[in-house]
Amino acid sequence: MRPLRGGPIAVLVALSVAMLAVPASRPAARGAVPEGLGEAPPPAAALHAASAQRGAFDPRALLDRRRGTLRRPARPHEFYFTRAIYSSGWGWNRWAIDYPKADQQFMTIVNRLIEIDASEFENAIRLDDPELRKYPFLYALEVGDIALGPAEIEGLRNYLLAGGFLVIDDFWGSWQWAHFEQQIRRVFPEHPIVDIPLDHPIFNAVYRIDEILQVPAIGNFWGGRTWEQDGYEAHARGIFDEQGRLMVVINWNTDLGDAWEWAERPEYPLKFSTFAVEMGINFIVYAMSH
Amino acid sequence: MFEAIFEFLFKYRPLVFEQGDFAIRAPWAIALAAAVAAGALTLRTYGRVRGNSRPLDRGVLAAIRLGAIAVVAFCLLQPVVVLSSVVPQQNFLGVLVDDSRSMQIADRDETERLRFVEDRLRAGGDLRTALEERFALRFFGFSTETDRLGDLDELTYRGTRTQLGQALERAHEELTGVPLSGLVVVTDGADNADGGLGESLLPIQAAGIPVFTVGLGRETFDRDIQLSRVETPRRVLRGAALVVDAVVTHRGYRGETVTVQVEDEGRIVGTEEVELGGAGEPRTVRLRFTAAEEGPRLFTFRVSPRPGEMVTQNNVRDALILVENHSEKVLYFEGEPRFEVKFLRRAVADDENLHVSILQRTAENKFMRLDVEDADDLVGGFPTTRAELYRYSGLVLGSIEANYFTPDQLRMIADFVNDRGGGLMMLGSQRSFAEGGYAGTPVADVLPVVLDERGADGEEDFFVEVAVETTRAGATHAATQIAETEELSVDRWSELPPITIVNPITEVKPAATALLTSAADDLVVLAFQRYGAGKSLAFPVQDSWMWQMHADIAVDDMTHETFWRRMLRWLVDGVPDQVTVELPADQVEPGESVTILATVGDANFEEINNSAVIASVTHPDGDFTDRRMEWTAEADGEYRATFIAPTEGFYEVRVEALSGDELIGEDVTYLQVAPSDAEYYDSTMRTALLDRIAEETGGRRYTPETVDSLADDVQFVGGGVTVVEERDLWDMPALLLLLGTLVLGEWGYRRFRGLA
Repeated sequence: MRPLRGGPIAVLVALSVAMLAVPASRPAARGAVPEGLGEAPPPAAALHAASAQRGAFDPRALLDRRRGTLRRPARPHEFYFTRAIYSSGWGWNRWAIDYPKADQQFMTIVNRLIEIDASEFENAIRLDDPELRKYPFLYALEVGDIALGPAEIEGLRNYLLAGGFLVIDDFWGSWQWAHFEQQIRRVFPEHPIVDIPLDHPIFNAVYRIDEILQVPAIGNFWGGRTWEQDGYEAHARGIFDEQGRLMVVINWNTDLGDAWEWAERPEYPLKFSTFAVEMGINFIVYAMSH
Repeated sequence: MFEAIFEFLFKYRPLVFEQGDFAIRAPWAIALAAAVAAGALTLRTYGRVRGNSRPLDRGVLAAIRLGAIAVVAFCLLQPVVVLSSVVPQQNFLGVLVDDSRSMQIADRDETERLRFVEDRLRAGGDLRTALEERFALRFFGFSTETDRLGDLDELTYRGTRTQLGQALERAHEELTGVPLSGLVVVTDGADNADGGLGESLLPIQAAGIPVFTVGLGRETFDRDIQLSRVETPRRVLRGAALVVDAVVTHRGYRGETVTVQVEDEGRIVGTEEVELGGAGEPRTVRLRFTAAEEGPRLFTFRVSPRPGEMVTQNNVRDALILVENHSEKVLYFEGEPRFEVKFLRRAVADDENLHVSILQRTAENKFMRLDVEDADDLVGGFPTTRAELYRYSGLVLGSIEANYFTPDQLRMIADFVNDRGGGLMMLGSQRSFAEGGYAGTPVADVLPVVLDERGADGEEDFFVEVAVETTRAGATHAATQIAETEELSVDRWSELPPITIVNPITEVKPAATALLTSAADDLVVLAFQRYGAGKSLAFPVQDSWMWQMHADIAVDDMTHETFWRRMLRWLVDGVPDQVTVELPADQVEPGESVTILATVGDANFEEINNSAVIASVTHPDGDFTDRRMEWTAEADGEYRATFIAPTEGFYEVRVEALSGDELIGEDVTYLQVAPSDAEYYDSTMRTALLDRIAEETGGRRYTPETVDSLADDVQFVGGGVTVVEERDLWDMPALLLLLGTLVLGEWGYRRFRGLA
């Protein structure tokens, strides 16, 4: 069966995003809170509350709450675009870049493009939260300064070995790569990072991907370039388990998330947003079937 | 004891009176007149006597005297019993001796049953001598076959079956035309022939030949354990987890615990302990083991012998199971990307005997095909013809609404179960069961659960998170065994993290069985039913992958994998192919005739009656014979052939069916040819059977203790050349005793009353 080609999808993406531009840009904490949120506090918030009771102040807890993470609707969906909350070396919540607009906007497009029961809301969760295991698809970005603690390493490793799937995005250049590689080695010292060949099924799950485009952050694109730092060439790399199953997709020197976030902007090139949506949908469908 | 007392008092055994007619030899009128005269004289005498006697005394004394006169008169009449007696040495007597292995059982004072034959029927034995004085004896030994014997030293006691009916028929035929007084059968009565005994007795009854049975052995053993029954499938997939019921019975070991083990050609693959109940009370033991090695495998089930057991050979049973190493094809049709696909694929990925092809809808009329056999497989989406769908043994429907299918496809899915014999499983989702609009469709008829017609209205989203527990059936069912033992499996189910259900199913159909439930919410979690030639399962769970991913599950835990492998293996277990071959038993005796039955269907599994069907039988020595199988004309698509299995060993029976030059399909099965141990099961003496034979033919049953009278009994009961014989009764001790008692009674009465 022939996979879908990008041309018609680009039009759909543009139409979908344009329709969603206004509501998607609203802060998620307002007007999009589903039923039941107030009755069951999110696990991450509960963790922070417990931490505060022990006297340790964690400023990230405030941000987590403000951003309204981990909301569970009354009837769960089959798929949640789940974003990893991780510790950053610079003390800033780098995990929350593009959050939640990119997540919401991308999910709306996904629901319109493919036959899937996906939550349209964002869903962020900490790597050391046991609830993470309920969401077998995980997205993390800006990992150039990720600084995983022991509990996060154990949580992520067990998550992936149990069958979870991680998509890494939006980190650039050799310095950030080296830092990320050093961190991910702590999770999987035994598994190498390799380039994913273009004939891998993940590039053919729904859409046929013939080329790995470098998707620029919107600011850089306005600046007339697609790269950052010394990251001139986009790569799609992966970590495979002992059975050869793909566990982690690493999108280096590219920013799919920004394309999802700003796809509704007329000035943002359609080819990048289309490519980002196709890649994202391929990742999701692949993660749900392989 | 009764007979001895009877014979002491009445001179002859009861049989003589049963068989004979009563007669009086003297002129009865004279004797009667004399008795009347004596009686009248007595009455007259006592009527006149007065003295100091009362009328009562005179009445009593007169009655006693009259009684004495009557006894004397009876003797004077010279009573006799008239008998028909065979003429000595003019008649034949067939003596049939059990030559089977059960005769070696030493259950009477540690003496083998065969000792009776050796000691009393061999030349010089007392019973032999008594019989030989009256009859010309003809000996037969019987077990699987019945042979005429020159003498009893030809007996070997190694026969593996007791064909009692056949033995009687054979002896009767052999002795037809000679004056036959009867047949004597010396056996323990452990008849294990396939046919009924009644037909064999009919000609013997018609000929009026009495059969005298001599029962050897005990009616019950003091101490014995028997593996009475083991039920196994005839063929399984390699790696199949088997749950097999074995029934243990015993006498004399109440309350003791014994171990039942199963061996795969010598290697122990499963054990289970069972506490024995009351004597004769069967206990069922559920054994779990894995069929790991492919090919025809002889599994041995064994109860470890206990001290003091009378028969240990009945502690063991063999079962021939064909462990097949092919891949059963399952089609999993999913209407949307779901994590169930990913985790189900992972669960069965290492199972070489399951090939799960995935057809997953990703967008409207767009499908992802995974693990298909070739580039054209499922290229058109869900199969539109029966031939295409029937290539699979199992079908799993995920989140796919009924409206996706055409009416013919829905009918086809139902026929897949009903006609083709496939296994159908429906998973939980918003698009399955009633929520998917299946109520009222042919598929709903097949499903084992009751669908609520209102389910598709969508008025209210149902959602519940439930913990799963096994039902009583689920605790022991092969599909739901997720741990080593039944107890561990039940515990494991109760420990598993909760899953979610969006299909509120609360009722199974009358013929269905619920295996898993959610007791707290009264929901059906897993149920199945047999439907037509196949079976269907309902599993209204939408995220069984939680049993793999949940944080409470260890990363290396295999529960999820075990569940899905066993579930899908059970789903396709026993699903027939286009050509199937069956044998009536997995073990026969050397030289026995074997019937091969085959069924042949086309790609739509419609029976074919004009196929060329060839059965190739490969013997243990490598030789093979071909048999053309003929349509039986009794059932569509059924073919039959027979062959003789002459030597011990494993026989391969391969059946090929052709339509013209095109091969429709083939199937193979195996047969073990070996001596049977059936003699050792239920090997106590069958009194009821021996009584029946004797009663229906006019003979008698004996034990070694009562057999002394056999020769006399045959003489009076038997047929052949006979003479009429009169035997006096006047000198019976009972008459003398009665007379003496009356005389003494009169004297005593007089003394008591002071009359003399």
